[in-house]
Amino acid sequence: MAIIEIKDLRKTYKLGNERVHALKRINLTIEKGEICCVLGTSGSGKSTLLNMLAGLEKPTKGSVFIKGTEITKLSEKKLARFRQENLGFIFQSYNLLNQLTALENVAMPLMFKGMPRKRREKIAAKMLKSVSLDNRMKHKPSQMSGGQQQRVGIARAFVTKPSVIFADEPTGNLDSHTTEDVMKLMVEMCRKYNLTLVLVTHDLGISEYADKIVHIIDGEITSVEKNISKYDLEKVKVKIGERIEINEK
Amino acid sequence: MKIFDIIKMAFKNLWRRKGRTLLTVIGVVIGSCAVIVMISLGLGMNLAMDNMLASWGDLTAITIYNYSYGVSDESVALDDDAVESIKAIENVSYVIPRLRVESNMVTIAAGRSDRYRMDWAEIYGVDFSLLDKMGYTPETGEFPSEDEYSSTIIFGNETAYNFRDTRKRGDKQYTWKQYLSDGTYTLPFIDPQDEKILVAINNTKQQNDDGTYQYGGRGYEYELNCSAVLMQDPNWETVYSVLIDINVAKDIIDDYNRRNGVKDANDPQYTYVKVVCDDINDVEEVETQIEAMGFNCSSMADMRGEMKKTLGIIQLVLGCLAAISLFVAALSITNTMIMSIYERTKEIGIMKVLGCYVGNIRSAFLFEAGLIGLLGGIIGTVLSYAISIGMNYFGAGVMASLLGTSGDTPVSIIPLWLVLLALGFSTLIGLISGFVPANRAVKISALEAIKSE
Ligand SMILES: Nc1ncnc2c1ncn2[C@@H]1O[C@H](COP(=O)(O)OP(=O)(O)OP(=O)(O)O)[C@@H](O)[C@H]1O
Ligand SMILES: [Mg+2]
Repeated sequence: MAIIEIKDLRKTYKLGNERVHALKRINLTIEKGEICCVLGTSGSGKSTLLNMLAGLEKPTKGSVFIKGTEITKLSEKKLARFRQENLGFIFQSYNLLNQLTALENVAMPLMFKGMPRKRREKIAAKMLKSVSLDNRMKHKPSQMSGGQQQRVGIARAFVTKPSVIFADEPTGNLDSHTTEDVMKLMVEMCRKYNLTLVLVTHDLGISEYADKIVHIIDGEITSVEKNISKYDLEKVKVKIGERIEINEK
Repeated sequence: MKIFDIIKMAFKNLWRRKGRTLLTVIGVVIGSCAVIVMISLGLGMNLAMDNMLASWGDLTAITIYNYSYGVSDESVALDDDAVESIKAIENVSYVIPRLRVESNMVTIAAGRSDRYRMDWAEIYGVDFSLLDKMGYTPETGEFPSEDEYSSTIIFGNETAYNFRDTRKRGDKQYTWKQYLSDGTYTLPFIDPQDEKILVAINNTKQQNDDGTYQYGGRGYEYELNCSAVLMQDPNWETVYSVLIDINVAKDIIDDYNRRNGVKDANDPQYTYVKVVCDDINDVEEVETQIEAMGFNCSSMADMRGEMKKTLGIIQLVLGCLAAISLFVAALSITNTMIMSIYERTKEIGIMKVLGCYVGNIRSAFLFEAGLIGLLGGIIGTVLSYAISIGMNYFGAGVMASLLGTSGDTPVSIIPLWLVLLALGFSTLIGLISGFVPANRAVKISALEAIKSE
C-alpha cells in the first residue's frame, strides 16, 4: 500500500531574473513500512524534495499525498495537526532545544498535542530508554555528545508513533562508527513499529540500509532501485550464525 | 498545547533572560508608578479642594437670597408657595426658609426691670426641627425638644455682647469681646442661658429721646429661655443674631403689625432660603431650576466648578507626563519581545516543524508580554503605595498650609479602583506591546528558521 504519492512535483526558485529548477517533474510512490533513501550529490535537490514531502515548503507545481491526504493543499493549522499526528523529523543538526533536558525535548511533540505532563514524560522516558539514554534524561543537549544528541532526536521523532519519519542527513555530523549505530537504531525502530522512513543522504554507505534507493541528479529522478537492507542482511547473518552454532553443537 | 504548558513556557522564557526581563519590568514599574502617583495626586487635590470648600460652607447647599424683598414689587415672592415648589424639585432633600424679623420691630431685654437691653437685634425665625440641617451646632447648651420650640431662643456665639447696661452711662454701657493679656477675654454683662430673655414688640409711634422705642406691655411680650449658644458658623451669619422658631417669628410679626396699625401686610417673605440637595453633583441642576423660577441663588458648586477646571488642567499635564513614561515602557516591552524573537527564531522554527500550532506560539508570546506588564503593574502599585504614604507623611502639612485645610487631608489617595485600573492597564499595555512581536514570531518561516543558526 502506497503511503506517500508524489505526482508531477516541481519546484522552481526565482532569484531575480534567474530561475533555479530545484525539482523537475518528480513522480514517486513510497510503500508503508518502507525505508526509502534519496541519494544524490550536493545541490541535486534532495533537501528540497524532503521539505516538500514534509509540507515545509509549497511546491511550484504538482502534489504530495500522504496517507491519502493532499498535504500541499492543507491550511497552516491543519498541516500542524497533520504533523502532530503523522510525521516525525530527524535533522542533521539535531535541532534540539538547548534550554530543555533530553526528556523535555523528547516529550515536546506530545506537549504540542496537548498531553498532560506526567503522561508525556512517562512515554518520553520509555522512548529514551529504547535509544539507550535512560541515564541521560535530565541532561541538556550541550552536555551530550553528537551521537547522543541524535539519539535524543530519534527518540523525539518516534515518540508520537508517526506514520512517516523524515530524516535529512541524520548522520551528517557523526563519525562512521556512530553513524552505523544511529542507522541501525533508526531502522530497528522503524521495523519495530512498522514505520515508513524517508532518508536523504549523499552517502552510499547509508543507502545500504534502505529498502529502496532513489537516485536524484539535478532535480530529476534518474533511477529507483530495490535493495535488501543491510540491517535485515545482518539479522539474517546472525540467524545463520546461530544456526551454524546450533548445528555445530 | 495545554494552557498550563503555554504559561509555563512563557515563565521559563522570561526567567531565562532574567536581567533583560527585570530591566523591562522596571520600565513598566516606573510608568505605572508615575500614572498611579499622578492620579492619586489628582484625587488628593480634588479632596483637598472639597475639604477647603466644605470648610467654607455646605457643598450640597444652595442659598437663595431675596435681596429685592421690599425693594422692587416685580420680584417673585419668596413665600411659602415658593418654598413648596422648590421642595418639589428633583434631588432636593431639604428646603429651610429663614424669616427675618426686622430689627425695629422688637426689643430684647434681660435682667431685673429690663436692666440689660438689646435695641437692634438680628432675629431669625427658623424651623427648629431643622436646626442641624441648617448647619447650626450648639457650642454650649442643647437644641430644644419639640415641646420647647415656642419657648426657646438661641443665641449666636457673640450675640450676648450686644446687651447694654441701662444703669450705666456713656461708654460703660457697652461691652465687647476683648482678649486680655492672661489669655482670657472679657465676658458679656450676662450669660443668656442663666436669664429669662424677654422679646417685646416695639411701639414705633412712641420714640424715646435716645432713639429707642417704647416696647412691651400686656400681650406684646414673649418670655423665652435661651437653651443654647451656637458655634460660630463659617459664614459669620449668626455671630450676632438670635434664632427663634419660625412660628414664633410669624406671631411676632403679626403682633407688630397689629400694634402699629400696619393694615395690608403681605404674607411674610423669606429673605433667605437654604436648599440642600441629595448629592454634590445635583447642585448645578437644581440651581438652574431655581434660577429659572426667578430667584437669585448661589452655591459652592459654582466655585467648585471653576476650581475643578483649573485642577483638571494641572491633572491633565501631570497625566500626560505619566502617560509618556508608560508609553516608553510599552516601547521597551516591544523591543524586548522582538529581541527575544530574534534569539529564538530557530526554536520557533523547530516547534513549528514538530507540529506546534501557531496560535500556541502567539499565545505564549502575548502571555510573556502581558506578564511583563502585569509584573510591572504589581511592583509599580506597591511602590506607589510607599510613595503615597511618604508624600502624605511629609507633604500633608505643606498642602494644608497652602490650601488652608486641616492637616490630615491626604496629598495622595490610592483607592482600590485605581489599583485595579493600574494593574489592568499595565497588563493591557503589555499585551498591546506584545502584539506586533507575537505576530512576527508566528510569521517566521519554519524552514528558514531551522536552517538558521
Ligand atoms: N531557498 C532557495 N532559494 C533559491 N534556491 C534554492 C533554495 N533552496 C535550494 N535552492 C537551490 O535548489 C537546489 C537544490 O538544493 P537542495 O538544498 O535541495 O540540495 P541538496 O541536494 O539538499 O544538497 P546538499 O546535499 O548539499 O544538502 C540547489 O541548487 C540550491 O541552490
Ligand atoms: Mg540538503
